[in-house]
Amino acid sequence: MELAELQDKIYAFVQAAKGKKKLKEKDIIKGVSAETSETPDNVKKAMRAMIDVGRLMYSYGGGSSSVEIPSEEYLREKGMIK
Amino acid sequence: MKKYETPLLDELEKGPWPSFVKEIKKAAKKSEMANDELGQLEKSYRDRRGYWKHGGIVGVLGYGGGVIGRYSSLPTEFPGVAHFHTVRINQPSGMFYKTDDLRTILDLWDEYGSGLTNMHGSTGDMVLLGCRTEALEPLFAEVTSRGWDLGGSGSALRTPACCVGKARCEWANIDTMDLCNHLTQMYQDYLHRPAWPYKFKFKIAGCAVDCVASIARADCSVIGTWKGKIAVDQAAVKNYAKGGMDVQAEIVDMCPTGCMSYSGGELKIDDANCSRCMHCISKMTKALKATGEKGASILIGSKAPIVVGSLLSWVIVPFIKMEPPYTEFTELVDKIWEWWDDNAKPRERIGEVIEVKGMRSFLEAIGVEPQAQQVYEPRKDPFFFWKEEDLNGNK
Repeated sequence: MELAELQDKIYAFVQAAKGKKKLKEKDIIKGVSAETSETPDNVKKAMRAMIDVGRLMYSYGGGSSSVEIPSEEYLREKGMIK
Repeated sequence: MKKYETPLLDELEKGPWPSFVKEIKKAAKKSEMANDELGQLEKSYRDRRGYWKHGGIVGVLGYGGGVIGRYSSLPTEFPGVAHFHTVRINQPSGMFYKTDDLRTILDLWDEYGSGLTNMHGSTGDMVLLGCRTEALEPLFAEVTSRGWDLGGSGSALRTPACCVGKARCEWANIDTMDLCNHLTQMYQDYLHRPAWPYKFKFKIAGCAVDCVASIARADCSVIGTWKGKIAVDQAAVKNYAKGGMDVQAEIVDMCPTGCMSYSGGELKIDDANCSRCMHCISKMTKALKATGEKGASILIGSKAPIVVGSLLSWVIVPFIKMEPPYTEFTELVDKIWEWWDDNAKPRERIGEVIEVKGMRSFLEAIGVEPQAQQVYEPRKDPFFFWKEEDLNGNK
C-alpha cells in the first residue's frame, strides 16, 4: 500500500474513534494493521510521520496520553493554517 | 506593573530557610508573569482553593511530552499567568552542569518564560515554570539548538535519573551516570512519544544507600551491589571506637540480618548472611569496603503518588552485571514493557499490574527464574498448622 493511502486509512481510523475512545498509539497500530494487513512497523512509521507534520497530534488528559486529530486552534498555533 | 499585597505569602519568607516566595518576588521585579503568579498564589491562600487548570493539548510539534499544560482559571484578573505551562528539560546524568550551560538555559528562560524554575523536579528534570503557548516552539528551537532536549511526561518513559555515582562517590558499584545516559539515548522514542498505558520511570542508584530514592519512586530501580566480602580494616575500626563511636550499638545492633559481631575491639562479618544494605559501610567508610564482583540488583514496581497507593520496588533480579552495552538489561526491559503494555489498563503502573496478575505470571512472561531473593517480605503467618493430637497435651 502506498504511504499516502495508508495514512488516509490511519486518519479515518482516528476520526472514527473521535468522541468515543481515546486512542493510544498501540490501538491505532493494531487496529489499522488488522484492517489493512500492513505490518505494525509500517503503520507506526506512517502514523509518526503524520504526527511530525501535524496531521495527527499527541493529546493528554487525566494522566495518560492519546493520539488525536488536531483542532484548528492547535494548527493555527503551530502556524499550519492562518 | 501591578503591585499585589501578599500578607499570607510574606509569612513564608520568615525563618532561616530558603523561601520560594522570596525567589518569586525577586523574579517579579522584571517579569509580569512572576508578578501575577504572586497575586494568584496569594488569592489561592486567602480563598483556600487552587486556581490552576491542568492538562490539555499543549506541546511542541512531533513530541507527546515535555510540556505540561497549565492555565489560570482567572485569566482576566491575572493575565500574566493566563498560560503558565511547565517545560521539562532533560537534566544531564547526575545533574552536573557547566556554569555557562546553566546560564544559557536561564537566559533563554528569562526571554521566553517567567524566569521561574524548579531545580530539580521530582522526576529529575530541570523544570521551567510558566511559559505561554506561543512561546513554546521558539523556546524549544532555541533549547534544542544548544544540545538540550525536553524530558518525559504523560504516558511515556520519564527522564531516567541517577545518583552522582562514580563521579563523586566511592560507594558506587556501577557507573550510574553512564547507564542513565545510555538509557536516555537508547529510548529517545519512548521518552518523547507516549505509547504506553501510563508513565514508566527508571532510577539508578550506585549502592543500597539509594540517594536517588529509586526503591520508592521508580517503576524500575537499578541498585548497585556486589558479590564479594566486606573487607574490614581492624585498625580503622579501633579508630572509630576511639573517636567515640559505639560500634556495638551503632553498627552491629543495627545490622538488619544480624551478621556482625564485635568483641575485643575486633569487628567480624558473616558475609554469607549479609544483605548488602550498606548501613555499616556508610557509617564506617574508612574501615569497611565492598570487594569482589560488582553489579546491580533490578527491582520493579514502586510508585509514590501524592494521595494513596504508594508501592515499594520488588527484587526481580538479585544480581546482574551492569556494563556497556547493557544488552542483558535492556533485553529484559523490552520484555517487561511488552508484558506491561499487553496487560495494563489505562493509568495502571507496572507495580499495580503485578499486584493484579501476580508475580508468577510476570516472571514467566519476562523469562526470569523464581529465586529466594525475590520474596517481597517474609511470611508472618506459618505454613504449617499444628493439630491438637500433635501437641501431646501441650499448648
